[in-house]
Amino acid sequence: MTPLARAIQAVLFVAEKPVSRGELVKITGSTPRAVEAALGELGAVAEDTGLRLAHEGDDWQLITAPEYASYVAAYLGADRLRLSSAALETLAVVAYKQPATRAEVEAIRGVNCDQTFYTLMQRRLIEERGRREAPGRPILYGTTWEFLECFGLTSLDELPRVLTLPETGEAGLRPVEAAGPTRPEQL
Amino acid sequence: MIGPEPPRVSIEGFEGPLELLLELVEERKLDILTVRLGDLADGYLARVRALAELPAEEVAAFLAVASRLVLLKARSLLPSLEPVAEEDEGASEEELRARLLEYATVRGRASLLGDRLRAGERAFHREGGTVELPPRGGDTSALAAAWAKVLALAARPKEEDLVAPAERYSVEQRTEEIEALVAEHETLSFATLLGERPTLGYAIVTFIALLDLYRRIVIDIDQDELFGEITIRRKAGS
Repeated sequence: MTPLARAIQAVLFVAEKPVSRGELVKITGSTPRAVEAALGELGAVAEDTGLRLAHEGDDWQLITAPEYASYVAAYLGADRLRLSSAALETLAVVAYKQPATRAEVEAIRGVNCDQTFYTLMQRRLIEERGRREAPGRPILYGTTWEFLECFGLTSLDELPRVLTLPETGEAGLRPVEAAGPTRPEQL
Repeated sequence: MIGPEPPRVSIEGFEGPLELLLELVEERKLDILTVRLGDLADGYLARVRALAELPAEEVAAFLAVASRLVLLKARSLLPSLEPVAEEDEGASEEELRARLLEYATVRGRASLLGDRLRAGERAFHREGGTVELPPRGGDTSALAAAWAKVLALAARPKEEDLVAPAERYSVEQRTEEIEALVAEHETLSFATLLGERPTLGYAIVTFIALLDLYRRIVIDIDQDELFGEITIRRKAGS
């Protein structure tokens, strides 16, 4: 590991919240490009440990590897998160389409989603992400760090892809997921 | 934005018309891409009839889809039927099929997310308070000096070993004494106030008296370094 990657590892180790790349640049006095490279190196090295390097956009954080969740949960005495299938559907729309408005989610699911939005907000799985510059300026929603953590993802790029439609006959295999999830809009 | 919890509506196991429609497609092992949605009209209506208990606005959503299915069925039975000119785009079979496909994708994604959740392979991050940095001046030499003072104190004869008359101190009395001293000298040190061999009770009363004077803004208190000497200074104008 380069000294810069080690320095960043040390900083992320003590950080309780995500650290932005800009902050890392400032702290280490390095160039953004060098920090980017060091983060890549750190991410690769972490694969060999019980930790993972997670990021959401430009914010970075060391998290525990999902494989060892049961041990960490046993140590922390953490409860397992349970969500209804309705809440999961709403969460799926927000996660893959973010930022999304409530109306968009309701249009896709064909039902009122007040309850599921309430549940997801309360569990801090989704959060407000400003407003869409459209009539009525509807609130935009996106997923949170808690979402990534709860689902053991190190970034939104890791969202599972659906390659088959569930039990829809012989022509089941269909590349529905051609492109990855859309990147969050810059606000 | 989190208001009171809205009532949850889900009767007969179906949350909405799309879910019911998708369920019908899956039950019959049909393909969303090729199924003639009009063929589902009868099955759909049969299910909707069983949903009589739903609140009116929920029923409306089911009925909107039902009417569309019936229209599609009618068209397939009477191919010569011309589309109504002002018919909006939303009523076409392809639009409904697209919605159904999109919903099926969401369901697939939701079930994958649900699998991940059930597998319990989640991540955790560090939690806890901010790292407590030592107070300024907390260097080892200050600690060593303080320890030396403690050792010197310990070397003295213990209070209980001394045969002394029972002490009685009053904070009020001590406060008056210190106030008089401060009026005379502009600055004093805590050590001076304690005297040569203070007893614990005397030290405590003296300290409380100082705090009281400080509270009344009669004096100012300074301590330059950790465990260092405390300087008592008369407050200007008092």
